[in-house]
Amino acid sequence: MRNELFNKEKERQLSLYPRIEKIEVKYTGKSHPGTVFVMNKALSTPYNCAMHLSEWHCKKSVLALVDGEVWDMYKPLTKSCEIQFLTFKDEDPEEVNKAYWRSCAMIMACVLKRAFKDEYSVNLIKSPEVPVISGAFCYDVILDNRLNDWTPTNVSTITSCLESCRACILVQWFFFNEGEGSVSFFLFVGYKMEMIERKASQNAEGIVTLHRFGDFVDVSEGPHIPRTSFCFQYEITAAHNLQTKQSELIRRFQGVSLPVHLKAYHIVWDKLLERSKRLVSFSGEVQLTKYKDML
Amino acid sequence: MRLSVVAAISHGRMYRPLGLGPRSRLDLLRNLVTALVRHERIEAPWARADEMRGYAERLIEYAKLGDTNERAMRMANFWLTEKDLIHKLFKVLAPRFQPHPGSYTRLLQIPNRDSLDRAKMAVIELKGNPYPPLIRPQRNTEKTLLNQLLKGYREDMQRAATPEAPKGTLV
Repeated sequence: MRNELFNKEKERQLSLYPRIEKIEVKYTGKSHPGTVFVMNKALSTPYNCAMHLSEWHCKKSVLALVDGEVWDMYKPLTKSCEIQFLTFKDEDPEEVNKAYWRSCAMIMACVLKRAFKDEYSVNLIKSPEVPVISGAFCYDVILDNRLNDWTPTNVSTITSCLESCRACILVQWFFFNEGEGSVSFFLFVGYKMEMIERKASQNAEGIVTLHRFGDFVDVSEGPHIPRTSFCFQYEITAAHNLQTKQSELIRRFQGVSLPVHLKAYHIVWDKLLERSKRLVSFSGEVQLTKYKDML
Repeated sequence: MRLSVVAAISHGRMYRPLGLGPRSRLDLLRNLVTALVRHERIEAPWARADEMRGYAERLIEYAKLGDTNERAMRMANFWLTEKDLIHKLFKVLAPRFQPHPGSYTRLLQIPNRDSLDRAKMAVIELKGNPYPPLIRPQRNTEKTLLNQLLKGYREDMQRAATPEAPKGTLV
């Protein structure tokens, strides 16, 4: 349902530019400094620019730095700008690491939605922005009331649901947030709604970016990796119950993943898995009392 | 008297016996210096490059005196067999190295020669040459995803290994 809305919105935004206009994109990276691409406005993406350069640029670049701002690879360019590509092996891959962690969390959310039977409701609350060094990405979820006593015996069985959603593109799109009406179609509630409002107020034109992964649409703090095929090793390792003042049981699902460019030997991977099973807690927990009206 | 031992000891000899004789040695080194001034980076057997290095640096010091200086011109005339390089030496290299007090060359060893003699080879270059650098600086991979995860893992292990600071027993 969200998917159809997403498609409709995508078509609507495409129709905003009936005639193809050209923009000039200047490449300021290390390999071919000063090259100028002539690209289509609102149609061509940084990935198309990378395609002009070489296959390696396509495969290695995770994010694009457009006029100093971090952009997804598949986000259309709207005006003439300067572009640079960010990879996993740069001098300072902090943004890339954050984007990767965010994407893995979103994949986990999608998997969790699909893992349980349809009769049980799965409410995704939020994905806390955890630093990479903590060892695991996490997603806070409220499961159905009937599952309150359920503790996952073998969390890795959830990972097997991942196989069905392999190799999709994490396409994303702009989204105008003109008042409450347009976004609520997507039925985001609670924390997500708050985040959308916050992002809309921060942005000059009130644009909020949504990301789609197969059938699953979600909103998040920042850019994502371009394709899910970037994740090489992926495991959902643990589910912890968070202690909160609320009546509902909030569970935190955690996982660990590594990209294709940074594969780990299986012994090292096992150690990282072990470490990620521990509960990731960090300062700055958002007030969870606000979610009362959601339930 | 054991002549072999006396002949083998070379205490205090400041020069290597390259080539056929002293004149041949100087010609050899002169060719190498000319090539270095022309190409600014050459490959040669390590012994010859090492020997040539001193002569090349002294030549540049002479060039710094200026081309009006008679001695400098005579030195350059002797050492550079291709006479167009005298102009390059005085007009290009001397101003380039004017701010530096010394050490205008860099000598780096490279793998042994591929032919039968397997000679120890070196590459000698003038500093400030237009070619890409010989030694590439290592990339700092501390911040990559895998290294950050491993760093977190290591810190956890260390914290687990060092026992908690015991509550001090006050005396």
